[in-house]
Amino acid sequence: MTMLLAAPALLLIAVVFGWPMLRYAWLSFHADSVLTGLEPVANGGANWLRLAADQRFWLDAGQTARFALISVSLELLLALAIALLLHQRWRGRGAVRALTLLPWALPTTMMALGWRWIFNTPYGPIEVLARSLGLGSLDLLSTPSITWLVTVFADVWKTTPFITLILLAGLQSIPEDLYSAFRLEGGTPLQALRRVTLPLLLPYILLSLLFRLAQAFGVFDLVQVLTGGGPAGSTESIALYAYLNGMRFLDFGYSATVMLAGFLLLTAMILAGTLLLKSVGLLRPLDR
Amino acid sequence: MTHESMTRGRITPGLMTRRSLWIALLLVWSLAPMLWQLLSSFTTADALVNDQLSFWSRWTLNNYRDLLSTDPPFWRYLLNSSLVASLTTLLTLMLAIPAAYGLAKLPQRLKGILRTAVVGAALFPYVLLFLALLELARTFALGNNLIAIAIPYSALSMPLALLLLTAAFEALPNDLEDAAKLEGLSLWQRLRWVLLPLIAPASASTAILVFLFAWNEYPVALTWLSRSDLLTLPVAMARIAGSSTYSVPYGTYAAATVLGAIPLLVLVLVFQRQIVSGLTNGAIKG
Repeated sequence: MTMLLAAPALLLIAVVFGWPMLRYAWLSFHADSVLTGLEPVANGGANWLRLAADQRFWLDAGQTARFALISVSLELLLALAIALLLHQRWRGRGAVRALTLLPWALPTTMMALGWRWIFNTPYGPIEVLARSLGLGSLDLLSTPSITWLVTVFADVWKTTPFITLILLAGLQSIPEDLYSAFRLEGGTPLQALRRVTLPLLLPYILLSLLFRLAQAFGVFDLVQVLTGGGPAGSTESIALYAYLNGMRFLDFGYSATVMLAGFLLLTAMILAGTLLLKSVGLLRPLDR
Repeated sequence: MTHESMTRGRITPGLMTRRSLWIALLLVWSLAPMLWQLLSSFTTADALVNDQLSFWSRWTLNNYRDLLSTDPPFWRYLLNSSLVASLTTLLTLMLAIPAAYGLAKLPQRLKGILRTAVVGAALFPYVLLFLALLELARTFALGNNLIAIAIPYSALSMPLALLLLTAAFEALPNDLEDAAKLEGLSLWQRLRWVLLPLIAPASASTAILVFLFAWNEYPVALTWLSRSDLLTLPVAMARIAGSSTYSVPYGTYAAATVLGAIPLLVLVLVFQRQIVSGLTNGAIKG
């Protein structure tokens, strides 16, 4: 009976999350594009062979992984500092907490639009500031070696509050007594951070790491609006490439292949990361 | 608390000003980009590209006037987003609350398996689903329909809703429901009159997080909605950006950003507590 109550919700999840994966698996062995009149025609492993030799895909995969790893690492460091600050007791803390949450609550596309104006060459404020400092033009949105850092920056700005909240929850779960005891034994605040706070915060750090890495690996909204994947494809992500294949080149078979491959790469990355953390003993505190 | 207590008795004026400095820095970091948009939205197109203009000739309301006189006017997108987000929240809660109750009552083992699956779905970068969802929309003629889009949205926010609400049901003492059962209350009555009021805080947290998700969702809306009077706010924003990089009306942009941010500003300031407890409970119990 109780299972029956859960059935509609679970069914909905199964359809919306499970069906696409099955469908992609099937589509990835079919040609389904304008060339086939948008009808799926079995083509063996042609899509997968094409993927293996597709430099653009592997470049995008590397760029996506780079984006995810760097932005999530920065977010974690920044969030830790902010969480420590917001965890202290001071007047107006509630209001500041709410205000720092705002970047996370705004639609990504909206702020991506905002960043395009702020980083605009030659009229954006950053550019104007750089000029007045005598730095010359920065061309932040049209220099392949720099633009991806702008996307990292925008992502850090937007999602740091999310990690901050998770870490704040972690900080609140650490009993005050531990700190008093540590102080009585003559430990300094810095030692307390290293030997009490960080170890007990570890589960929260790992959780936010896992969640954010998976989400950052699927980055789409931000790059589509802020850079469109450019300049010269330098900020194109796997999701954007899959989107372009499907919606612009109308090659659904290959688009499905790219998405499935992206999902498999992500899974492999998370598994590898878990094994790595396990091998250095970082996951031991979690086996309770 | 932690670090303050570490230094209790040693809180010097110097330490306090240093903290104020960090707080100020944090606020600048979080708010400066939005404040810049606010400033730009009141700046004339000329002044945006010419910093030689005198201070008094820089300001205008034209950006807002332009934004509201387009076809469809900008408020239409706000309305669409409100409708979609409200419907999604309603549908999600209607499905998730009974489901979470059912899941909380399941035997431990089965619950473990289902929870792993739900956590997996919650982690999944859902943008990868868009192509198959688009096919479904075509097959069942659900495209360009603000009511229909609430179905995938509910599904996409269901994992988080289930995690939060199942945890809330599990935290309730069993005696309570047993007593209600002895009183002869049916399952529906127990849910409606005994359990629902008790999980109200968790439901509120879930509702606000689902609402935010639906309000901000982009890839599905991008592929399901194409009629310009049906666009939700994120898609409308991206469409404005889709015009050429060089001729983009940045003042109008900024005005759009400001108008689009106001509902969220209100939402976050009013429901800050629910958002925080929702995310943090999700972290602890999920």
